[in-house]
Amino acid sequence: MPTYVDMTRCDGCGECVNICPSDIMHIDPVYRRAYNIEPNFCWECYSCVKACPQHAIDVRGYADFAPLGHKVRVLREKEKGVISWKIRYRDGRVKEFAFPIRTTPWGSIAAPSSYDAPPADELQSQLLAHEPDALKVAALPALPARS
Amino acid sequence: MFVSNPFSLLAEAFSPMFMQAYVVLMVAAVVAGVLFDMRHKRSAEFFARRRESARAAAQRELGAAAIATIAVETLVVDVMAAGEFDKWQRRLSHLLTAYGFIIYLVTTVVMVFGYASDPETPWAWTALWHLGALMVLAGGSWFFFALRADVAQEARAPLRLRQADIFIVGLLASSAFALVWHAAQMLDNGAGVTMVLFGLYLFSTTLLFVTVPWSKFAHMFYKPAAAFQKRLEAASGASDLPRPAEISHIRR
Repeated sequence: MPTYVDMTRCDGCGECVNICPSDIMHIDPVYRRAYNIEPNFCWECYSCVKACPQHAIDVRGYADFAPLGHKVRVLREKEKGVISWKIRYRDGRVKEFAFPIRTTPWGSIAAPSSYDAPPADELQSQLLAHEPDALKVAALPALPARS
Repeated sequence: MFVSNPFSLLAEAFSPMFMQAYVVLMVAAVVAGVLFDMRHKRSAEFFARRRESARAAAQRELGAAAIATIAVETLVVDVMAAGEFDKWQRRLSHLLTAYGFIIYLVTTVVMVFGYASDPETPWAWTALWHLGALMVLAGGSWFFFALRADVAQEARAPLRLRQADIFIVGLLASSAFALVWHAAQMLDNGAGVTMVLFGLYLFSTTLLFVTVPWSKFAHMFYKPAAAFQKRLEAASGASDLPRPAEISHIRR
């Protein structure tokens, strides 16, 4: 089910434009509100639904095979680290789910740009970025280098 | 410059009736534009339908006192403090522009009707007129060049204009030309360049007020209505959003 934007709730902040991996959330040239420029290409990842601070984005099926009436609504609570979902089925049933998404405060993860650039010889290392420090171990087992 | 009234200086060349008639025409243009916009976009019908569906989904009846409280909350939080905005930069820019515009508008009307030919205009009005225009320029330019989603998120060139920009461009141009025109008045009130700048001020101000059906001008009326409706839905249990989570998972 692709996304659509409720224009009376959207304030045109562009969070969904930033986060859409398919680059199909854009800003309308007339109303400066977000909209899905190509629902057929929506991956249905719901990133924009979760990122919208105004709860302005919902999802809906194509009218030819999914009669309208259902709803998928999302509430993201940054201060609690929780995303809650409310699913309304077409037969009227409603189900709610709450998922913890993180345990560290919002915005506390440093961006890659805030780290020093690694030296060029790190390209030869078998370790990934920030290993082993980020894993809180002294060292990781590594395969012996080929002779 | 901050203590002189541009409209009383203008009265040396034009009758005060000219600007008074112009203000009345612009007010009429805004009223007509909003009514046309409401009819064309069927906004009133949309809000009425939404109110009906919210009433049908409501889990509790709201009394007059509760509705009045929600109306006050909407006015104070959503309208006066721009509480809708998630990011402080957008909020501050919006507040600067909105309060600047109100001050600029009110002082213009007061000076045009109350002190049109009075060189002794109280300095508070003239200073507020300048302050309002400067606030619009500060908040509006910040929004236009740095915060506008077209620029900040879509990475478009700041000067690539679209229909959605009519309102902000009209507002910035009106404030900027008002200040430049007044500065030119102070240097040489009768000069040709002063008249040209006055013409540009009138043109940009007219652009701002007569383009209501095509610009975002009317959002200042719709957004409070939408915010009020959103609060009503939340209070009556008609909101379709999930319930807030009961516990926090953040470990501090």
